[in-house]
Amino acid sequence: MGGLCNHSLELTGLAGNPASPVHRLDPRAKIVGLVSITIVAVSTPPRHWPVYVACATALAAVAMLGRVGVGDIWRRTRVVLPLILFVAIFVPFLRTGGAVYDLGPIKVHEAGLLVLAAVAAKATIGTLSAVLLGTTTTFPAVLHGLEAMRLPRTFVLIAAFMYRYLFVIVEEVARMRQALASRGYRPRNALQAGALGRVATALFLRSYSRGERVYLAMLSRGYRGAMPQAVPLSLGRADIVFVAVVLASLVPLRLLAELA
Amino acid sequence: MPDLLLALHIPDGFLSGGIALVTAILAIAAVGWGLRVADRDLDEAKVPLLGVLAAFIFAAQMLNFPVAGGTSGHFLGATLAAVLLGPWLACLVMTVVIATQAFAFADGGITALGANVLNMGVLGALLAGVALGAAVKAFSPGRGAFLALVAVVSWLAVMVGAAATSVELALSGTVPLTSALVAMLGVHALIGIGEAVITVGAVSAVLAARPDLVALGRFEPASGTPDVAAAGGTA
Repeated sequence: MGGLCNHSLELTGLAGNPASPVHRLDPRAKIVGLVSITIVAVSTPPRHWPVYVACATALAAVAMLGRVGVGDIWRRTRVVLPLILFVAIFVPFLRTGGAVYDLGPIKVHEAGLLVLAAVAAKATIGTLSAVLLGTTTTFPAVLHGLEAMRLPRTFVLIAAFMYRYLFVIVEEVARMRQALASRGYRPRNALQAGALGRVATALFLRSYSRGERVYLAMLSRGYRGAMPQAVPLSLGRADIVFVAVVLASLVPLRLLAELA
Repeated sequence: MPDLLLALHIPDGFLSGGIALVTAILAIAAVGWGLRVADRDLDEAKVPLLGVLAAFIFAAQMLNFPVAGGTSGHFLGATLAAVLLGPWLACLVMTVVIATQAFAFADGGITALGANVLNMGVLGALLAGVALGAAVKAFSPGRGAFLALVAVVSWLAVMVGAAATSVELALSGTVPLTSALVAMLGVHALIGIGEAVITVGAVSAVLAARPDLVALGRFEPASGTPDVAAAGGTA
């Protein structure tokens, strides 16, 4: 049993040098900068390879500045590989499927390969940039930044509490699965998933009563529906320089691709 | 080990700009309505409870089961969330789960967030909400009939999500529609069985242990109309 192979908890949280200039940037600057890189890559039509290369170079520079190791990046980025494989499976069918991008006389088979290459480049850049955001910014800081960028507060609060209890509850589900496995539970098909339903119930009831206890504990500590912010956000010169450099190095190339 | 899992977390770059935009608008509309319901019906101070339940859904999604040929599927939970919280709060909670997977785990693209929220959260939650809500109102089913409905709806929710994913990818020109639909629906017909078995097991056990926590489909008419506030009902 592969166990908890998706969203393994080792694959989140900070990596690299927490004192690096990238780690110390305001979360808003990193969100805007890194999401801009993704948007530039995603919006670029296939065949404009220089734009993809520029995006990848920008990400490599961020990784180096943040001293994020190649191993960390690889472990977190490879979640995208099966999905690229999924598209690859369909490439032969795109020969007859047609109507991908209008490439005129070029054989559709090549169109399929072109789609695959563009999709693989974009997905890798998008995943890398999310990985770099995650390795250089704590999730609470990301939320803090998103809240400052006007994401509804109720949403931010739910996400903040979710993240706070995620580790406890995920470890609980891991222990429950271990208990099942140690009693010989080896489902061979989907119909034998019933025991997992009972795991889900126990987990739900435990989580629910944990939520109630947490809520009462918070009330007794003076909770009134909002969390106090310990460190106020402030945009400094480094933040502005970071966003400006990212935009100045990618947007002109992207616009050039539009003209070409 | 070769866990194909649900190939439903669409990464960046798989969708065309138009499809990404349309799905994002639909997802934002549903989540916006969910936030309205939460602000209206839920004591704001009980928001922590929704957070803990989002963590529960996230953890429950780690329950995986074998599907076919060495691949495995995992529990999705949209139907279970809708039964427990009502459809709109379920949309909200599923969105928090999927957004966290994108931002904290780089699973699912940030530009594809709208599509992922729609496919894995909103469509399933609303389908369950509409179908189960209507059934409960129309002929107040007994426990067995209700659980049978839950099974059908949770299977359908997985199929609808898989179909929506295929259509979005095909409209974006990433995969051909027919073969993608056949492949996705074929695999998800089996994954949906696991989803249905787990959801029915969970709902029947919650009905037995804490029926007050089930927002959709109460059986005692004395407890009034099913209402979403039940999510935070018993502090």
